[in-house]
Amino acid sequence: MYEFVETESVIVLALILIFLVFVAFFPLAFIYSMLFGWIHQSSRAKKLLVREQRVAGVVGGDNIHTLSSPINLEKISQCGLVMTNITVSPSWWQLFVGGIKSIFGGQIQSYDKVLAYGRAEVMQRLREQALGEGWSEIINVRVETSMVMNKVKGRQQNKIGTLEFLAYGTGIR
Amino acid sequence: MEIMTSNTETIPGFKITKSFGVATGSTVRAKHIGKDILAGLKNIVGGELKAYTELLMEARTEALGRMMMDAGQRGANAVVNVRFATSSVAGGAAELFAYGTAVTVEQE
Repeated sequence: MYEFVETESVIVLALILIFLVFVAFFPLAFIYSMLFGWIHQSSRAKKLLVREQRVAGVVGGDNIHTLSSPINLEKISQCGLVMTNITVSPSWWQLFVGGIKSIFGGQIQSYDKVLAYGRAEVMQRLREQALGEGWSEIINVRVETSMVMNKVKGRQQNKIGTLEFLAYGTGIR
Repeated sequence: MEIMTSNTETIPGFKITKSFGVATGSTVRAKHIGKDILAGLKNIVGGELKAYTELLMEARTEALGRMMMDAGQRGANAVVNVRFATSSVAGGAAELFAYGTAVTVEQE
């Protein structure tokens, strides 16, 4: 009889612990997202600006463009496809704010920032990859946006708002 | 022999001599459950999800490699006008598809 009570109390204790973890984790994570999400994202954006300036200093302008013929290069000996991607998502706080804003409509600044960062970052990665692989310029650059893996537990919606940006072009030298 | 790829209609500086039709390559990938949970945690502060970025890049590189293999088997030495398509299949899997026109080119 005594042992039975003991095992039961252990199970109850475990259930209470699991419940506490779930109850405590989500609000804490939400507060963490509110406080540190902004800091994290703005530090990334600042680093991106520095990288952009450095590449602009090395190349002396921009080494990617959307025309289908080269601008500076006269004779082409080799070409190849160059592509880079990034997956971004808004933080929990931004999703929450965006969810409230979307009731009334209008511009949603919290999503705006994330998308602008993602697109700028993917273009910057293309520039850096061009430098790293030794292409003198990248022509016909296209940027595509897709929502991949957007089926969450059988529901046709992207719960965490994950977006993929793909930038690709033809590198020539 | 290395196959040249380009997303322009013609490779500038080269002349297309022969066309072999459409070369395609595709791959279907599903996300790893452990990485998915980690990405979910990363999602709290937002920004880049590196696990997904790497997964998609790896898959797309493989699709591109299969497309180039297809072109090579047809006897082409270049693939022009390469396009990418992404579609989500059932249960969190994604199909990455690359296609282009397999051609032989000569330097002008």
